Amino acid sequence: MTCEDVDRHLDPYVDRECDQEAAMAIREHLSGCAACRQRVADRQALGRLVRTAPYYPAPDSVRARVSTAVRRSLSTRRMLTWAAAATLLLAVSGGLLIVRSTGSVRLSSADAIVDEVVADHVRSLMADHLFDIRSADQHTVKPWFLGKLDFSPPVTDLASIGFPLAGGRLEYLAGRPVAALVYQRQKHTINVFVWPAVETTSSNALRTVHGFHVEHWTRDGMSLWAVSDLNVAELNEFARALQR
Amino acid sequence: MSPRGFDEKVLPHLDAAFNYARWLTRNDGEAEDVVQDACVRAMRFFPSLRDDDARAWLLAIVRNAWYSRLSRRTSAAADIVPLNSAVDVRADESLDPEALMLQQHAVRDVRDALAQLPVDFREVIVLREIEGCSYKEIAAVVKVPIGTVMSRLARARERLLAALKRSALRMEEAP
Repeated sequence: MTCEDVDRHLDPYVDRECDQEAAMAIREHLSGCAACRQRVADRQALGRLVRTAPYYPAPDSVRARVSTAVRRSLSTRRMLTWAAAATLLLAVSGGLLIVRSTGSVRLSSADAIVDEVVADHVRSLMADHLFDIRSADQHTVKPWFLGKLDFSPPVTDLASIGFPLAGGRLEYLAGRPVAALVYQRQKHTINVFVWPAVETTSSNALRTVHGFHVEHWTRDGMSLWAVSDLNVAELNEFARALQR
Repeated sequence: MSPRGFDEKVLPHLDAAFNYARWLTRNDGEAEDVVQDACVRAMRFFPSLRDDDARAWLLAIVRNAWYSRLSRRTSAAADIVPLNSAVDVRADESLDPEALMLQQHAVRDVRDALAQLPVDFREVIVLREIEGCSYKEIAAVVKVPIGTVMSRLARARERLLAALKRSALRMEEAP
């Protein structure tokens, strides 16, 4: 691989979007080329600089406007649907009407999940299998899950407030593959388990099992479970920071 | 009530939708209008959402909503610089990004420099660096092949770096 080849692959390489083969060829070239190493380092520094630009979350006014607009538009639609259904019913009167039950989303037993979450946390520490991917860079950890899970877990480094990201791994919990994110707080380890939420309501709850605290919340359609032997106040601070 | 699943699948990406709209429009009020339009459309198209990526799906709708508002307003059309006519400025080698980072004003200027990039460049950087989208997701939002995402990101970053250096040098020259 030449310097021009590296130049062409610079962005996918720093974005970790190269295939394995290309990434290996680039790494091999980098080990012997200081100029290209510098170019890669510059690109990464630019990324850090750009990520200081603001993120604009939706203000409450938008949430309110959206929910009003969505509901208004839906009620119009529903009237039309009813009108169409009524016409259809008249047309097939005497025919058989099948009413299918809608089948509500079943809440998995939260207590069973808490037990599983704690057991998994303990196992990860005892078996010394905390990491499949070890990195403090959220842009390394997040893409690592690509292709391994059918969802993309939110990954945020919280080093700025004293909860550095340490890495992640795959787990099997609540009957499905899930993402486990690992954070450190001094000597304490925090496991955050993430999978797409099936709960109909979002519930923030704190539970304690065998001296481990478990915080649960749902956000952006994801169900998150943070577990640690950290004290309640600090775990709560951590959970609140992740919810921001 | 919304269509089954809409609240759980789509509304969780409202922050992403607003952030993207805000960077596209560079204006709070307009971003709100775009997001509202987009959500009404999203609800209509909701049955077409397959289970893969609701965020990219919603962001693509935000983009369409913005472009259709824009086409109703001729004044803003100047914002869209055709990519081919845009001359690429290769960044000057005198300041590396690390040095820029250490200059406090550069960090503050990042927002302005990014906001002033032509929209086609601005959006790929916002989606990648601020929203954390993969190339595949960006391709789905912007509706271009992944190869184009790659080259557009490269050009966008060169331009952003050049703009940041210009503003850093201006600061140095200022008394």
